[in-house]
Amino acid sequence: MKRHIFPPLLLLVLFFCIPASFACLAGVPERPEPQRLVNDLAGIFNSGQTFSLEQRLVAFDDSTSNQITVVTVSDLEGYEPAEMAVRIGLDWGVGSKDFNNGIVILVKPKTTSSSGAVSIQVGYGLEGAIPDSYCKRIIEQEMIPHFREEDYFGGVSAAVDVLMALASGEISEPRGNDEDDLAEALLALAFIMLVMIILVIALRGKGGGGGNRSSRDPDPYIFFGPISGRPGGSFGGFSGGGFSGGGFGGFGGGSFGGGGASGRW
Amino acid sequence: MKKGLIGLLIAAAVILGLFVWVKNTYNGLVTADEGVKAAWSQVENVYQRRADLIPNLVATVKGYASHESSTLEAVIEARAKATQVTVDPDKLTEESIAAFQSAQGELGNAIGRLLVSVEQYPDLKANQNFLELQAQLEGTENRITVERQKFNDTAKAYNTQVRSFPANIIASMFNFEQKGYFKAAEGAQIAPKVEF
Repeated sequence: MKRHIFPPLLLLVLFFCIPASFACLAGVPERPEPQRLVNDLAGIFNSGQTFSLEQRLVAFDDSTSNQITVVTVSDLEGYEPAEMAVRIGLDWGVGSKDFNNGIVILVKPKTTSSSGAVSIQVGYGLEGAIPDSYCKRIIEQEMIPHFREEDYFGGVSAAVDVLMALASGEISEPRGNDEDDLAEALLALAFIMLVMIILVIALRGKGGGGGNRSSRDPDPYIFFGPISGRPGGSFGGFSGGGFSGGGFGGFGGGSFGGGGASGRW
Repeated sequence: MKKGLIGLLIAAAVILGLFVWVKNTYNGLVTADEGVKAAWSQVENVYQRRADLIPNLVATVKGYASHESSTLEAVIEARAKATQVTVDPDKLTEESIAAFQSAQGELGNAIGRLLVSVEQYPDLKANQNFLELQAQLEGTENRITVERQKFNDTAKAYNTQVRSFPANIIASMFNFEQKGYFKAAEGAQIAPKVEF
């Protein structure tokens, strides 16, 4: 009898244990869908504050390509604040892949049972513009004084102001600057035209023998290709990355190396 | 005649296929191997960064806390020892990484003791230079954690590639050896809980 009871019991125990252990591992918040820069998971901003902060950060991303993301959590799940902020930066890919110019601001509000924690983590590309000691000073002088008075928005907003000024001095590459793409597309166009011309010439040479079309009157479509507006030609040359008009264009795959600072209050 | 030709063609196709497979596998292993080396050089960079901060730290503390000379000497000694232990990036074995890690761990402990002992010097703790050094040290420790983690991830991906069938045949033919990992320090799994 005992034998029969034991395996189902074991299964039941396993059934409850495994999800629990997975939940422990999955402590870092997942990348939001749709992607956004302000992720108030702890619910410490009101909707107006979230909206205005998001607007500012998106505008900054559009004009300088530096991505600052603000994340608030109600529990650090056993992580150090810096560790969790780095994981968010790496998992979400904050900043662009070419510049690694992302910044993660992580805030865990103070509760009656636990201290508040904050971390600013800076991507590789901005470590020169925003050294650790600057981050420390921003935390100590701009953020924690506000946070002590439960003014979370004021603290984050002040920190964002300073970080924007520092970051835009280093990397200021407006988004939607697709000059390179345009040049590439023109080059591709010129190449296709060249091939077409060669083809037409070759066809004319061949057709001269037995073709019933006059060799002096080449088909204008073949000659001018898709430019004449006839269906069939399409170019995939433009990558419409930055023209997302208003909304956030998405995280760019930037990397982090642990630069920045943290604080508690 | 015809049969012979077909046989020849099949043999040629098999050889070509084999060549392409060996080439791709080998090049994949080379890329992964270089990736591990690059991750290792990042690890060395961040440890070097910490070592470079120490002379400044020692000089700053000395001015305020002359009673701590033994603690300061311990830091200098540990730094000298730690910078002597270097690892050849071609031989990232379990043992060499462990030796590197223990020497650096000693230095980390010595710095930790120093930072605890300066708690009783309020003038030093208010010194702007010291505060900045502290922020840099903290950031560097964090960088060490991150780069070690990245190294372990890269080494794990490489080791998986080296050990998987059939790439392991190529790996053993060309002496692609497994890489070691950083071990979590004893007690490091339990995150210190700071209460105020």
